[in-house]
Amino acid sequence: MRKYTSKLLIVIASVALAAYFLYPTYKDYSLHKDIAPLHGEDSLAFITKHEKEILENRTKRIKLGLDLQGGMRVVLEVNILKLIEDLAKNKDDAFVQIMKEVHEATRTTDESPVLLLRRKFEERKIRMSRYYGSLRDDDDKIYASLEDEAKKAIDRGMEIVRNRVDQYGVSEPSIQKLGGSRVIVELPGVSKEAEVRQLLQGTALLEFKLLKDPEVAYRVMTEIDKILASSGVVDSTAADSAKTVAASDTSKIATPEGELSPEEFAKKHPFFTVARVSERVPGEAFVASDDKDKVRRILDREDVRRAIPNDMDFVWSAKPDQRFSSADKKYFVLYPLKKTAELTGGVVTNAKSTLDQGTGLPIVTMEMNSDGSREWARITGANINKRIAIVLDNAIFSAPVVRNKITGGHSQIEGMENLDEARLLEIVLKAGALPAPVEIIEQRSVGPSLGEDSIRSGILSSVIATLLTVLFMIFYYRTGGAVADVAVVFCMVFLLGVLAAFQATLTLPGIAGVILTLAVSVDANVLINERIREEHATGKTLRASIDAGYARAWTAIFDSNLTTFISGIILYQFGTGPVQGFALTLMIGIVTSMFAAVFITRVIFTIMSDRFSMNINFG
Amino acid sequence: MRFFKKTSIDFMSRRRVWYAVSSLVILAGFISLAVKGFDLGIDFLGGTELIVEFSQPAPIGDVRTALERAGVTRAEIKAYGSDRNILIRAATVATVEGVAVGDRLREGLKAGFQDNPFHVLKEDKIGPKIGAELRRDAIYAIIASLVAISLYVAVRFKFAYGVGAIVSLLHDVLVTLAFVSICDGFLNLEIDQNMIAAFLTLVGTSINDTVVIFDRIRENQRIFKTMPLVDLMNKSINECLSRTFITNGSIFMVLLVILVFGGEVLRGFAFALTIGAVTGTYSTVYIASAIVLEMAQRTKAKTVMA
Repeated sequence: MRKYTSKLLIVIASVALAAYFLYPTYKDYSLHKDIAPLHGEDSLAFITKHEKEILENRTKRIKLGLDLQGGMRVVLEVNILKLIEDLAKNKDDAFVQIMKEVHEATRTTDESPVLLLRRKFEERKIRMSRYYGSLRDDDDKIYASLEDEAKKAIDRGMEIVRNRVDQYGVSEPSIQKLGGSRVIVELPGVSKEAEVRQLLQGTALLEFKLLKDPEVAYRVMTEIDKILASSGVVDSTAADSAKTVAASDTSKIATPEGELSPEEFAKKHPFFTVARVSERVPGEAFVASDDKDKVRRILDREDVRRAIPNDMDFVWSAKPDQRFSSADKKYFVLYPLKKTAELTGGVVTNAKSTLDQGTGLPIVTMEMNSDGSREWARITGANINKRIAIVLDNAIFSAPVVRNKITGGHSQIEGMENLDEARLLEIVLKAGALPAPVEIIEQRSVGPSLGEDSIRSGILSSVIATLLTVLFMIFYYRTGGAVADVAVVFCMVFLLGVLAAFQATLTLPGIAGVILTLAVSVDANVLINERIREEHATGKTLRASIDAGYARAWTAIFDSNLTTFISGIILYQFGTGPVQGFALTLMIGIVTSMFAAVFITRVIFTIMSDRFSMNINFG
Repeated sequence: MRFFKKTSIDFMSRRRVWYAVSSLVILAGFISLAVKGFDLGIDFLGGTELIVEFSQPAPIGDVRTALERAGVTRAEIKAYGSDRNILIRAATVATVEGVAVGDRLREGLKAGFQDNPFHVLKEDKIGPKIGAELRRDAIYAIIASLVAISLYVAVRFKFAYGVGAIVSLLHDVLVTLAFVSICDGFLNLEIDQNMIAAFLTLVGTSINDTVVIFDRIRENQRIFKTMPLVDLMNKSINECLSRTFITNGSIFMVLLVILVFGGEVLRGFAFALTIGAVTGTYSTVYIASAIVLEMAQRTKAKTVMA
């Protein structure tokens, strides 16, 4: 057993790992290349044929930052100040004055507005119960409940934004909470500013809508099915979906015409193949998340739209249905709704998720104001045993059955799978009562053409810089330089591999980081090669010089890279978006370059001198 | 191939001359900053910034007239890379006569350049609160990195080396700032987030170079225990000279490539790093090592006097 065998294995394993992580990026690129020359029907057919592959590779590839692919980045802030102002009752001059001071104070500090408010009250020796809670409550209790409200408002704001972005249908949106009261939304490829503003800032619309009668809904869906079957648009993947359906239920699919094989079923019932209906839950259709776009396209067709009655709408569930979804396959529900809303959410005054004291099951209670209560009593009285959907911004969060007439405005909603689901419903119902006021405080958009220019100049400068460096190294250090160049190539492959594994985003400063990594990687080898030359000059054998060179250079390489790494960490902490991308590539680059420049070159030198007894020329 | 044979240059004896040179450059930078002020970018100023590309060259004067006609006065207008690309910046994100400034700017350009269509390359709107926060964070980030790095050096080497590191890093930041301020105008060298990233990176690469020399001094100190520090330093710097030139030469070359071919967005970033590569190399010898030497000589003088 030679002593370099295990080291060589480590090198091969890391290359294989990097290749494994990079493959989706390559595949994504080549699929894009295949689509590019296709138009209209052809490209659509290609997309449907390769849908799964495309989606899979897209989620695993190295993502391009907004500055490279174009798109919009918006930072929203939930206005806590406005919220606590809205929550107060009996507002008088003193209160207005205090709010003004708190507003001033928030400009210079990061402390929570609620805490600032409390201090102002204490300064003036006014009890908070004058404006909040009930008279008997002490400040601690009111403070806690206000902080709680503020926290919930942010969750609500985030949920509203997420829901809307989901409905808007942007590919790969990113929604993140930033600090205490901010939400960052990144929308790649979107540039319509007015639309986005509307999307993110408009008041959330909560509605209660009746579900259509299941029989009517089934009739309409059958009609759609017939239209699709007769127009002869059968796509090749439908049979596959039908097969998976068949596999999960029974081997054959039972239909009124008798039992059909999956292929026959897909041909005869193109709509029911993707939108599955079940006896157990009449009136709903289940659509696998992969098929959602397909069904959306079907419902958008002119002839299909004509088949849907004027007062009816198909509306999606906001989240995948818990009952039928599993970890790898998620199903959304398509509900047939009556178009006009019975009631809008403005009448909801409060909502709360709890566990039912009798049964221990999660429930949500909802209160309405007096106008709402009256309407609600009429609506529920007239629709006993029918279902009413709770719709926020055109997505359904729940569709409970009305058990009895609800008078007095106090309703109780049951049937949630778990407490999380109940909490989500609470958030949704409150969105009608207490809209979380969000403001856009930062908005950046990059047009796609600037992104393309940036990629082009980024790639051009990378290629030139790499070529110059590689040639210089060979020129100056001969064989030693060539080995260093091999290390540079390894370093780049590892860097990209790690980026892909982290599913990191490559930004324009990130490309600069890649180029700088090149320089760092070269530096390590310059240090080593210079040392080897020095040692060799003292008369040591080549083998001894190499060993000593690596040993002596190591502390310098380690310390100098670690200090650069420190500035990388700080950069990552401080920066936003593109700058973080730079910091991340720089840090990963330092690690991969140390591995490539120190470990891999050593293995190569060892093999060259031991296995092939070569005389290595260090120039 | 070797650029340097065994050298024995006496670097340290000429250090006082270089203190003066460094001070002069930094002074020139301060004067330039006092006269020109900081050319802060949209990130730190807040406001609305639009970068548009016209299909034909658009004179800046015409752009100004068109915008003034649309009711946007006092906008900053300058060429961005070429005479077809124009950067327009208004100090506010608010609305002008009920229309958002961004839309107002677009309308104004559309009306003023009817036969010269344009498209928007980039649009940023930064609220005043964010601008102030980013400004504060940037200063914190630079200070934090200086302190963290110096602490690391002080722990890994000796306290004096940590002091040498922080002074030389501060020197590099100030010299680069001086060049950025002086050359702004010929090039678009606004201080924005990318520029701050460049400053933090040059701090990283500069310390990288310093640590390599410190490491050599540390090593030689163990071998030549009785050699005076001045000679040790000269010896170490000479031994590392080849590496210093090869590494920093290739970094310089790489940065020059980004500066020339990297496009307008990266220009300021690459410029600051290029200056940083030069001053970082220089400051290793004449600031970081020199300070360590001065401090050592001072403590020695004290012990002699006592």
